[in-house]
Amino acid sequence: MTKDSKKKAGAAQDYGCPYASRRDLLFGLAGAGGAFALRSGGAFAKDAPVSEPQKKTERADETSGRQVADAPSGSGNTRDRVPFYGEHQAGVITPRPATGIVASFDVVARDPEDLEQMFRKLTDRIAFLTQGGKVPQLDPKLPPADSGVLGPVIEPDNLTITVGLGNSLFENRPWLKPHKPKQLVRMPEFPNDALDADRSHGDLSLQFSANLLDTNIHALRDIVKNLPEFLVMRWMQEGDVPVIPPKPDGKTESARNFLGFHDGSANPDSNDAELMEEVIWVDEKDDEPEWAYGGTYQAVRIIRNFVERWDRTPLREQERIIGRKKNNGAPLDGGDRESEVPDYAADPDGKLTPLDAHIRLANPRTEKTRENLMLRRPFNYSNGVTKSGQLDQGLLFIAYQADLDKGFVTVQRRLDGEPLEEYIKPVGGGFFYVLPGVPEPGDYLGRSLIEAASKTSDDKPT
Amino acid sequence: MSLTRILCALTFALLLGAGGAQAQSNQASLELVEPLAEYKLYVAEHTASLVEDTKEFVGAIKDGDVEKAKSLFAPTRRNYEKIEPIAELFADLDVSMDSRADDYEKGEADPNFGGFHRIEYVLWEKNTTEGLDKYADKLLADVIELDSRVSELTFPPEIVVGGAAVLMEEVAATKISGEEDRYSRTDLWDFEANFDGSRKIFELFKPLIDDEAFIAKVESNFADVYEVLADYQTEDGGFVSYEKLTDMDRRVLSAKVNTLAEELSTLRGRLGLG
Repeated sequence: MTKDSKKKAGAAQDYGCPYASRRDLLFGLAGAGGAFALRSGGAFAKDAPVSEPQKKTERADETSGRQVADAPSGSGNTRDRVPFYGEHQAGVITPRPATGIVASFDVVARDPEDLEQMFRKLTDRIAFLTQGGKVPQLDPKLPPADSGVLGPVIEPDNLTITVGLGNSLFENRPWLKPHKPKQLVRMPEFPNDALDADRSHGDLSLQFSANLLDTNIHALRDIVKNLPEFLVMRWMQEGDVPVIPPKPDGKTESARNFLGFHDGSANPDSNDAELMEEVIWVDEKDDEPEWAYGGTYQAVRIIRNFVERWDRTPLREQERIIGRKKNNGAPLDGGDRESEVPDYAADPDGKLTPLDAHIRLANPRTEKTRENLMLRRPFNYSNGVTKSGQLDQGLLFIAYQADLDKGFVTVQRRLDGEPLEEYIKPVGGGFFYVLPGVPEPGDYLGRSLIEAASKTSDDKPT
Repeated sequence: MSLTRILCALTFALLLGAGGAQAQSNQASLELVEPLAEYKLYVAEHTASLVEDTKEFVGAIKDGDVEKAKSLFAPTRRNYEKIEPIAELFADLDVSMDSRADDYEKGEADPNFGGFHRIEYVLWEKNTTEGLDKYADKLLADVIELDSRVSELTFPPEIVVGGAAVLMEEVAATKISGEEDRYSRTDLWDFEANFDGSRKIFELFKPLIDDEAFIAKVESNFADVYEVLADYQTEDGGFVSYEKLTDMDRRVLSAKVNTLAEELSTLRGRLGLG
């Protein structure tokens, strides 16, 4: 079987390897120094051994203080490259570029061997697509190896592809079920939800993000073309965020959502490696299977915004519903900067910031609610027009956390019934477990899970 | 019609028609003649059955026998679905016989919506044969026209070989969802016929391909789809309602069909056809 899939059109043996040689890579690893790189933010800087000199990238910005939900500066270019190999997958604490897609698939894999083959193939494609390189040229009588959307040379364009696994992948396979991450469940329907089955759940999620939408589209098409026997697409949602050049003082602001408010202001500091270990990455501290260490929970929500109605709502009311000033994102209890922290203790009755304001419910900023932190990395979407002639727009909400119950689920329970619900309607999404990263070439996404599953699978000597 | 006659006609057509075909040697083209001729026989066989079956189907409609007409709908279509890989050679008849309500802006309300699916719509949704006479007459006329055309039709090799993949593309794009036979839910009959038709082409040209891994992969994917379909087969050789297809099996079918489409898309190139 492995032989079959390699055979494809006689091409592509070196299609998947972006590196000039394995030596280049090892050299690069040694240079970067593993332990330091890990603390400085996971996959970042851990392996910069690319065949072309690395230009200034978003990830370089990361060291200069860029946050995940900051508006993209617009200075990105197609040569920007986010390293693929690392302790964690890229695309989680990586500053968000201008465009993103979440695509959900059902997986056709009957046994651990099938699943391993799927993971290996997926790893090859992601390693190539995110690092870039030349597209192999085939006999013109054959279909081309690549869609050609990005031309004969694929530029990485800041692309990251982040792989997550859904509840159903485990539940429908007895040999995989015992290894399910403890908190992974089918996303429940929260009280304000109206989930559309055609836009919800799935066995596997891929989050694409890149400077340009076409780069995401190209990568998605590549994966669909190369893994037809394993992946059946369920749904996808595109989104983007506005590009805003940094202010004269070098500071950047969080991007705005389609309600016109800054979104992501209270995100935990993605440059604080220790905080990320605590809030985002699953490890020994968490009650999770060992294979899952280095991963994280992903909550995806497609949240429609009733924008016509919102735009007809008085500004003062909008601000009280959200809990921030619309112009500058500052909290309602004073100041004029988004980064200022509201003092709810001094406002116990909600005279300044209503007790049911969105940001106050979501993050009450008490010592106790610190455990409910999560990292949001959303995109805005626009899907055309509804049957009623209204704009179908909203937020492709994506959040990461090491503890799904304490993170998204608890926060959403606090938000249930909030005044904002009149203007929003979650219609899709799903919960997924983001696999640990791929430390080095030759390794593959999901190896730790496959090894765990193979041990308990009857028919599988490894 | 004799095989020799077809062979001669085809060879002639090929030699004339393939003049512009790249650096193909006549030798290679000649290799294609035999499978093409055999394929033409396969098509002729099915159009002949289609005529006979359609006569009976139309007869039941005209007799006002709704139940009999319903029972003959899927078996009659099956002949047509088997030769669908080359439907582009008779696109006008394909539109007339096999278009769907979605192909018309007004959907079922459009009087131009005719053919199999108009009849299917009235039989299942209205549970009557009333008003179907003119559509039934037209269907029979189309079928007879198709059958008479086939003997004179030139079968360009790239269309036939390409048809194997194109049909899988169509199954993947507009059939796996269950939208083809939406009123009768007889989609699985069509699936099987489509797989038969596509596999027939693959089998005929297989001896000309020297890539064992490719052949093994295509064969194993065909085997997988037949294995899934077998679970839904009834004793009389037909199929249960499409609604019985489980999500899991639909996914497996979808993955296999897409893989077949991907693999078979290289068939033309492998045979040196542009």
